[in-house]
Amino acid sequence: MNNFKGNILIVDDEKGLRLGTKRLLEEEGYNVTAAENGTEGLQFGTNKDFDVAVIDLKMPDIDGLEVLKEIKSVHPNTVCFIATAFASYETAIQATRIGAFGYIPKPFSPEEFIYQVEQGLKQRKLILDAHRLELEREKNLLELANEKSRLNAIIKSISEGIIIINTNGDLAYYNYAAIKLLSINNIQIGEKILDKLPVHVTDIVKKIFQSDKIMLKSYTTEFSLDADNELFLEAACTPIPNPDGSLAGVVIILSNITGYKRIEIIKNQFVSMVAHELKTPLAAVQGFLNIIMDQSIKLSPDKQHDYIQRSTLRLKSLTDLVNDLLDISRFEMKTKEREIIEVHLEEIICSTLQMLELELNKKGITVEKNIEIKLPFIKADINEIARMVTNLLSNAIKYNKEKGKIFIDISSSKNYVVLKVRDTGIGLKPDEKQKLFSEFYRAKNDMTRGISGTGLGLSIVKRIVDSYFGFIEVESDYGVGTTFLIKLPINPN
Amino acid sequence: MVTENVKKILLVDDDIDLLEQNKLLLESKGFEVITAENSEEGLKVFQKEKPDAAIIDLIMEQMDSGFVLCYKIKKTEHGKKIPVFMLTSATYETGFKFSASSKEEKEWIKCDGIINKPVVIEDLLAKLENFNYQQ
Repeated sequence: MNNFKGNILIVDDEKGLRLGTKRLLEEEGYNVTAAENGTEGLQFGTNKDFDVAVIDLKMPDIDGLEVLKEIKSVHPNTVCFIATAFASYETAIQATRIGAFGYIPKPFSPEEFIYQVEQGLKQRKLILDAHRLELEREKNLLELANEKSRLNAIIKSISEGIIIINTNGDLAYYNYAAIKLLSINNIQIGEKILDKLPVHVTDIVKKIFQSDKIMLKSYTTEFSLDADNELFLEAACTPIPNPDGSLAGVVIILSNITGYKRIEIIKNQFVSMVAHELKTPLAAVQGFLNIIMDQSIKLSPDKQHDYIQRSTLRLKSLTDLVNDLLDISRFEMKTKEREIIEVHLEEIICSTLQMLELELNKKGITVEKNIEIKLPFIKADINEIARMVTNLLSNAIKYNKEKGKIFIDISSSKNYVVLKVRDTGIGLKPDEKQKLFSEFYRAKNDMTRGISGTGLGLSIVKRIVDSYFGFIEVESDYGVGTTFLIKLPINPN
Repeated sequence: MVTENVKKILLVDDDIDLLEQNKLLLESKGFEVITAENSEEGLKVFQKEKPDAAIIDLIMEQMDSGFVLCYKIKKTEHGKKIPVFMLTSATYETGFKFSASSKEEKEWIKCDGIINKPVVIEDLLAKLENFNYQQ
């Protein structure tokens, strides 16, 4: 058997001819299926997509043309021949109209028959190729259309505004975000746009137009369009070169940078406050030294000693402040590696109280503890938890009354360890309570006079609690006392 | 070295160390010094004592307590006649954008000059001398 050349269907009720042509084609290397009547032919031809079908016109059960029609309706790419001894012009026309490729008149010689089948196969190949090309073309077109609409959809939906201007100053392209950010409406592709853009942007675009050499870089500007500075925009203007190197236009990308600006403002405010808080104790120390050194001011030895002692206190508070600031900066930059271990809050409370014993005794403050017996461990960095407890307890001492009390209460729920620290101190006014956790906020009134602090202690406590996904609440009655309630997850992960 | 126009000075500062230092410095130059530790007290002392000049710390209970006190003092008949200075350790570099050098700024801030901490007494004396008491 030769190489496989194709699948051929022969439909003929004349047994001799059917088997003869089958054997003939098989010898040529075709795969042949033979049907002995119209019914069978119809069944075979519709079940499988044959390359070529040769159908006898006159059959006792179903007419050849009927078989042809049915096969073509299911497999339009099967190349069909009508073979008949009753050749007539009309039959041929009719057959081709229904979809036959050709007409084989009976009787035919083997060479003639083979030749016709080969022509049919060539046709079949052409049809299949054309069909494949068609599919590919459709697929490509579809992809192209998809690509274009996808690109369009992306440009339309991104939050950055895009404006493209040609060298005449005509608007060549824009997206919705651009007109929204600039709050301009009624603009159209092709119109002169420069006058409608903010002057900051227009200036840059004009400079790009005027320069003799195209620099392939972006020129950026920041500006605000409203007087209240509630919307800050950044415009990046980039020249678009033609293939020959000349200028084709400028693409302007507009971004809303209000968020960054807000952070910048907060950062600047923070820096100002830090600088102020650092300079004040320095000024106090400098002032004392100036007075001590001033020949024209006569100070008693006691007064001199007092001033040196007060300078030392100011320097100590300055050191505390620098340490607090470093702690905050470590938190912000997350540079500090955490060592998560199982921490028992009671142990930390006890060791902190020991550390603060001197201060407690100085004010005659007593501590009452109420701690759950089987208190679970929490997973945390022991230094951070110790810092949190120290800040809370030293506040409870500092803002307490002479001979006051501190109540420490630790309990647990399913997921949290709950720490309550209550003092019998000076308490907070409602407006003071709100600002309590902000940096450098210190309640200033008659009762807090003479209490020193950096104004960062509770802000650090809050940062620590937040970083463990815990909660902190404060309850306070002015003149009666303050309670801090902290919930820390037993397992933060 | 009491100047002709100024004999009694009001100092308002919530930092008791600085308050005492500045009081001492001014007393050493022969001024009579009256003090207050917050803006509310400052206004009361001002109204009672009618000082010839006032030096007010900017940041006390609130960020702008000094401004507010200055404003209130400058609204009084007596306040319009005397020099009122604002005391601060904030500078232009740390975000303090007022110099009170132009007329507009003086109008707006309602004070006659800014003094940086720690106080350099010679500068302060010069400021008191240069104040136009005829205005």
